[in-house]
Amino acid sequence: MSENSISVKNVSKKFRLYHEKRTTLYESITGSINRKPHYETLQVLDNVSFNVKKGESFGIVGRNGSGKTTLLRILSHIYQPDDGSVETNGTVVPVLALGLGFHPELTAITNIYQSSILLGITKNQIAERIDKIIKFADLEKFADTKLKNFSSGMAMRLAFATAVQVDPAVLLLDEVIAVGDLNFQKKCLDVMLDFKKRGKSIVLVSHNPSDVKQLCDRAMFLKDGSIDIIGKPSQVLDSYENYMNSLQE
Amino acid sequence: MTSIREEMWKTKGILFNFAITDLKIRYKNSVLGVLWSILEPLLMLAVLFFVFSTMFKSEIEYFPIYLLSGLITYNFFKNGTTIALSSLSNRSALITQIYFPRSIPAISSCFTSSIMLIVELAVLGVFMVYFQFTPSLTILYLIPIYMLAFVFVLGIALGLSVLNVKFKDVEFIWGILLHAGFFLTPIFYQFDMLPEQMQNILQLSPIVQIVEMVHHVTLYGTLPSLNSVLYSVGSVFGVLGVGYFIFRRYQARIVEDM
Repeated sequence: MSENSISVKNVSKKFRLYHEKRTTLYESITGSINRKPHYETLQVLDNVSFNVKKGESFGIVGRNGSGKTTLLRILSHIYQPDDGSVETNGTVVPVLALGLGFHPELTAITNIYQSSILLGITKNQIAERIDKIIKFADLEKFADTKLKNFSSGMAMRLAFATAVQVDPAVLLLDEVIAVGDLNFQKKCLDVMLDFKKRGKSIVLVSHNPSDVKQLCDRAMFLKDGSIDIIGKPSQVLDSYENYMNSLQE
Repeated sequence: MTSIREEMWKTKGILFNFAITDLKIRYKNSVLGVLWSILEPLLMLAVLFFVFSTMFKSEIEYFPIYLLSGLITYNFFKNGTTIALSSLSNRSALITQIYFPRSIPAISSCFTSSIMLIVELAVLGVFMVYFQFTPSLTILYLIPIYMLAFVFVLGIALGLSVLNVKFKDVEFIWGILLHAGFFLTPIFYQFDMLPEQMQNILQLSPIVQIVEMVHHVTLYGTLPSLNSVLYSVGSVFGVLGVGYFIFRRYQARIVEDM
């Protein structure tokens, strides 16, 4: 039981695809009177189960829209699954494609504070680590710049640096490595390897096969919301590539 | 349930953090910055004071104090609910990327408006000195009265914060209601100037009750009647219950509606 840092059991998630989204009261009142179905449901995740052990890094591959990000959001409790359960052991920090919930009107430093407090560390701990975060992200010149003036690569670097310094038990990474430049990618890989050595887990979503091969102990191929295969990265990548090739033909 | 409480405790630092950032963002790009939190009520008061002391002569004794005490009480209600209204929808980036209890933005909005209230109470103090008004000791009852007001604002804040994500109209409707509420609350007139029928209806509003209580303890040195206290406490907690119910109902799906 305590061996796993994440255990996912039979998780399913449906989304509503609205044809005409009812965001106003008037629309929702008139809509409920003329009973026309205004949305269809989309099964984003269908009966997904897997475990991630402590110190293991787990890769997830799949086409766009196959439910990878939704799964990460469920793992980090941002979404609630419709069915099934997710158990996590220790803090889970998600670094999703857009950052760490940064506010465009706040400076890099205030954003670090805001996000890290939300992720569960105290103000004093952040004060100790803040220089490291800025230095790791290579943003010494921009520490007091508002986030809205950051490039997407800079914001991503800041997010990754912050997440790593929060030092969670599980790190969820969604297409993070690809955004940084080559030097930063190398730094990321080093940090992640160090992370694993210290018995922490990583869940990595990536479209780059070499990242998955290099970093992950096991991988999973998500096909339209359900698990196609879980196993060795090379095996999983093969069946993913075969599937993608079959689509092209 | 216990885990919710644990979580709240763990993230308590964020309550204060949100409250401060709300203020910072509110006064961003302004030359005078936080000074506006003092200037805003001061200038608003100057306008109202000018209108009601020269254009419409007011017979109310110590009118400036009467006006200001009512105004800041209503402001507390207005600011808290308005900030809470957009507290979730403005943080869509944060909410879609990090998990934290969804009630925190609404709660912290109430703290933001509490900070503004304290500043405005200080302004009231200055006015009391200037108009040589000495309040009686009953003014200390402002503390429980504002605690009650806090619960009232919190109830509405919780409900509005989730409703505004789901229905964008809430923002406009609430703006109109606040405007109407300002005129239907005894801020620049006395409650007994109104026709009796209207009084009977309006005294059902908790904010009318709260403003009246504030007038009682600051200006007249009297305590509000037991009936009005009981009614206020009952209705305020009723509002909190309804607000919490709405919040619970919508909070789980909030991220998907962003």
